[in-house]
Amino acid sequence: MSSNVQQQARRQQQVEELCAATIRALSGQPDLHFRGKRLYQGEHRLSMHAPHHRIDTAVAPFADCRAAADGMALRLLYSDAELHRAHSPEKPVERLVFELLEQLRVETLVPAQLGGMAANLEQRFVQWSQDFHRSGHTEGSSGILLYTVAQMCWARLNARQVLEETEDFIESTRFSLATSMGTALAGLRHSRHDQAAYIPHAKAIAKLVDNIIEAQRAGQSADDDTNKDDGEETQQGFALLLEFDQDGDDDDRFASARSGISKAFGENRQGYTVYTTAYDREVTAAGLVRDAQLEEFRQRLDSGIAEQGVNVQRVARQLAAVLTTPQSDSWRYGEEEGRIDGRRLAQLVSSPTERRLFYQERQRPVADCVVSLLVDCSGSMRYQNEPVAMLADCLIRALDMVGASSELLGFTTNAWNGGKPYKEWVRQGRPPYPGRLNETCHMVFKEADRGWRRTRRDIAALLKGNLFREGIDGEAVDWACNRLLARSESRKILLVISDGCPADSATNLTNDAYYLDNHLKEVLARRERQGEVDILGLGVGLDLSPFYRHCLATDMSQVLDNHLFEEIVQLIGHRKRR
Amino acid sequence: MTNLPSIKPDTMRSVRELFGIDSDLQVPAFSQRDEYVPEIDEAYRFNPDVTLAILAGFTRNRRVMVQGLHGTGKSTHIEQVAARLNWPCLRVNLDGHISRLDLVGKDAIVVRDGVQVTEFQEGIVPWSLQRPVALIFDEYDAGRPDVMFVIQRILERDGSFSLLDQNRVIHPHPYFRLFATANTVGLGNMSGMYQGTQVLNHAQIDRWNIVAKLDYLDANEEAAIVLARVPEKNTEKGRELIAAMVSVANLTRKGFAAGDISTLMSPRTVITWAENCEIFRNPALAFRLSFLNKCDETERSTVAEYYQRCFGEELDESWLRESYTV
Repeated sequence: MSSNVQQQARRQQQVEELCAATIRALSGQPDLHFRGKRLYQGEHRLSMHAPHHRIDTAVAPFADCRAAADGMALRLLYSDAELHRAHSPEKPVERLVFELLEQLRVETLVPAQLGGMAANLEQRFVQWSQDFHRSGHTEGSSGILLYTVAQMCWARLNARQVLEETEDFIESTRFSLATSMGTALAGLRHSRHDQAAYIPHAKAIAKLVDNIIEAQRAGQSADDDTNKDDGEETQQGFALLLEFDQDGDDDDRFASARSGISKAFGENRQGYTVYTTAYDREVTAAGLVRDAQLEEFRQRLDSGIAEQGVNVQRVARQLAAVLTTPQSDSWRYGEEEGRIDGRRLAQLVSSPTERRLFYQERQRPVADCVVSLLVDCSGSMRYQNEPVAMLADCLIRALDMVGASSELLGFTTNAWNGGKPYKEWVRQGRPPYPGRLNETCHMVFKEADRGWRRTRRDIAALLKGNLFREGIDGEAVDWACNRLLARSESRKILLVISDGCPADSATNLTNDAYYLDNHLKEVLARRERQGEVDILGLGVGLDLSPFYRHCLATDMSQVLDNHLFEEIVQLIGHRKRR
Repeated sequence: MTNLPSIKPDTMRSVRELFGIDSDLQVPAFSQRDEYVPEIDEAYRFNPDVTLAILAGFTRNRRVMVQGLHGTGKSTHIEQVAARLNWPCLRVNLDGHISRLDLVGKDAIVVRDGVQVTEFQEGIVPWSLQRPVALIFDEYDAGRPDVMFVIQRILERDGSFSLLDQNRVIHPHPYFRLFATANTVGLGNMSGMYQGTQVLNHAQIDRWNIVAKLDYLDANEEAAIVLARVPEKNTEKGRELIAAMVSVANLTRKGFAAGDISTLMSPRTVITWAENCEIFRNPALAFRLSFLNKCDETERSTVAEYYQRCFGEELDESWLRESYTV
C-alpha cells in the first residue's frame, strides 16, 4: 500500500516534470514549474481554474495532464492575466463561467502547426464532458445549465457540433437559452482573437447563467424540501467546481495540497517566534550513544550495506561528473606539443627526430564542494532509520572518493510534547501564540572536516531509535545553511532527507497546524533567493514538492538500488528539476 | 585563368533583381566569374537585414561580422552574396591551432633550378590582401585572441599590412574585403554549447564596423527555406509536414532557452530531417535519426512531448510508452 503511494508520488513528479517542460517550451517562459500540483511562475502561483483542466497530476491519465499543460500554455500565450483578473466577476458562479469561457477562447487559438496539441485539447474537452455527464453532475438543474452553456460555447467557438452523446439530453435547455444567449454567443466566436472585445460577451453569458441559477434557488427555497431529490451529490459536485474561490487569494505565495496558511504566522508581526531558546542543544550525536552500542550499530550497518550491493565506486563516478570542475594542478612532461621543456633541448640535439620535448598543464577534476545531509529525526523517521543510515553512509563514502567534503546532521527535539518550554508557558499563564514551543536538538553526526574513515562509528548513531522525537524543520534548515555558509568551498549543497512536514505537537496545538510549515517555506524561499546554498529535498515515501523546489520522492522500504543513487545524483546535478 | 589582381568590379547590379529584396540599392559586381567565385545556389533565401549588412561590406568596404547560433547559414549567406556578385571569395576556418605563421607566411625550402633555396611564402592574409578577394574568417571566435592581433591593422579600412620578415608593406587591394562569422559575440561560451570558443579582445571586436545577427528565423521563413532545399516536399501535405517540423524545432529552441534540454534543432537539422524523411518515408524514424539520438537520454522524453504536440503521435521515447513497458 505505502509503496503504491510512493510510486504515485514518483509518477506525479515525472508527469509534472514533462508537463512543465512542455509549458516552458510552448510559452517561452523559463521560470514556470509545478509545486504541489499547481503551476507557479517563480514564487507566484498562477491562477487558472477552468473546470475541464482541473486535474490531479498524481492520478489523472497522462493524456489529460498533457491537455491541461497545453491549456495552461495557451493561457500564458494568448491571455492577458491582468485584464482577465480586472474583469473577473465577484460571484462564484459568474466567475466560474467567465474562467471557463476564457479558457475555451484561448483553446481556439492553437496554431495550425501544433496539430497534436489541438487533438489533446479536443480529446480532453470531450472526455471532461462525458465524465461530467456520466458522473451524474448534469442531473441537477444548475449542473445541466452549466453543462449546456459549456457545450454551446465550445461548439460555437470551434464552429463544430455539440457532443453527439448528449445532444438530445441538452436539447431543451439549449433551446431555452438560445434566444437570450444568441447575441453574446455570436460575439464570442467573432471576437475570439481579441480578449478585450471578448470579455463583454463572456460576462454577459456569465451573468445570464448566474441569474438563472439564482432564480432557480429562489424557487427551490420557496417550495422548500419538495425538490430535495435534486440530489446532494450533484450539489456537492457543483460546489466542488466553485471551490477555487474559497481557495484563497490568487496572490498568496504559499498554498498546496497538504499545507495551508497559518493564521498565527501571518498575524504575528515578527512572523516566526521562538518561545525560549534556553533549552535548545547542539550535540555530537555519537556522545548520546554508549561506545559498545555504537560498535554494534556499526556492524549492523556494515552488514546491511553489504546485503544491498550498492556500487559505491559507480556512485562516486557519477557524482564526480556532476560535482567536479577541471583545475590545473601540475605539469605533464614529454608531450608532443606545448611549452618547450628546456631540460630536453640536449636530447633534441642528440636525436632530432624525437619530438617529445614539450610540457603542458595537467587538468584534474576537483570537487570544490561541500554536501550536507540533514536528516529529519522525527518520530516517524525512526522506522526508516536503517535505510536512511545506509544511504547516508554510501553517499558520504562516495563523496569522500570524489574529494568533496560532506556533513551529516540531524534534527529532533529533546522532549515530546513541548518539554520544559511548554511547562514554562503554562506557568506564565498561557499567553496566545507563543511561537515554537519545544526544545530543539540539533545533532552533528559527521563534521565536514573529518573523513568517512574517522567517523564511521559516529554515523552509526543514526540507528539509535530513541533519539527520534519531533521535527522542527525550518530552524534546522537555517542552522544547516549557516554551517555551510561558514565553509570555504565554493559550492554548497544541502540535501534534506525527510518523510513529512514539520511536526511538533505542542507548537501545533498552541499556534495552529501550519505554523511550522509556513516557517519552513519562508526559510526555503529566503535561502533560494539568496542562492548561496543549493537546497534539495529527498522525500522518504513522500513528495516534498510543496516545500522544495528541487526534490525527489524515494521508496526506501525496498533495497537501496543503484537506480536510487542515480536519481539522487541527478537531483544534485539538477537534471531532474521541478 | 584570369589575372586575379587586375580585375575589378565593372557593372552595377540591382539588389532587388539579384537578391529579391525590396531596396533600390545598386551594387558593384564583376561581369565575369573567376575560379574563386563560389557556386550559385538558386534555392538560397536571403535574409534582408543580413544581406544588406553584407552588401554594405562589399560596396562600402566595411568589415562585417555575422554572429548567430549554429546551423543558421552564416557563412553560406556571405558566400551566396559573393556568388551573385561574382566576387572571388576565400573561406578560412579558424581553430585554436592557427598560428601567426599560417596567417602571415613563412620561410619554406623550395627547389629552384635543382638547388634548394629558402623562400618566403606568403600566408593567406597577405595573399588575399593584394587581390580583389572577399576573405571570410569562419568560426572567428575559435581563433586565439593573441594570434588574431595579426589582422588588427587590416581591420581598418585602408590599413596596410607590414610583413616583418621581409621589411615590406602591403597596401590592400581596393576590392579586398574582410568578413567573419562566429557563434558567440566574443564573450565566450555562455550557453555551454560552443566548446572551444575564446573570449575575444574587445579592442578587436570594436574594429568590426558592422555586426549582423543571424538567429533563427520566423517559422514561415524557415519553412520556405526547408522547402527550397527539399523541393520534393512542395505539396499540400508536404507543406503541412514541414510546418509541423519547424514548430518542433521552435519548441526545442525555447526548451533550450528554458534549460530543459541541452541540444537544440538548427535550421540545418530541420533540413536534414526533411531530407531523411525522403529517404525513410517516416517522419518519426527520420526525426529519431536526425535529432533525437543526439539528445541526452534523460531529455528524450521531453523532446518526445514536443513532438507529440506538433504531430499528435507518440514516439517510442515518449514517457507514456516507457511507463507502459516498465
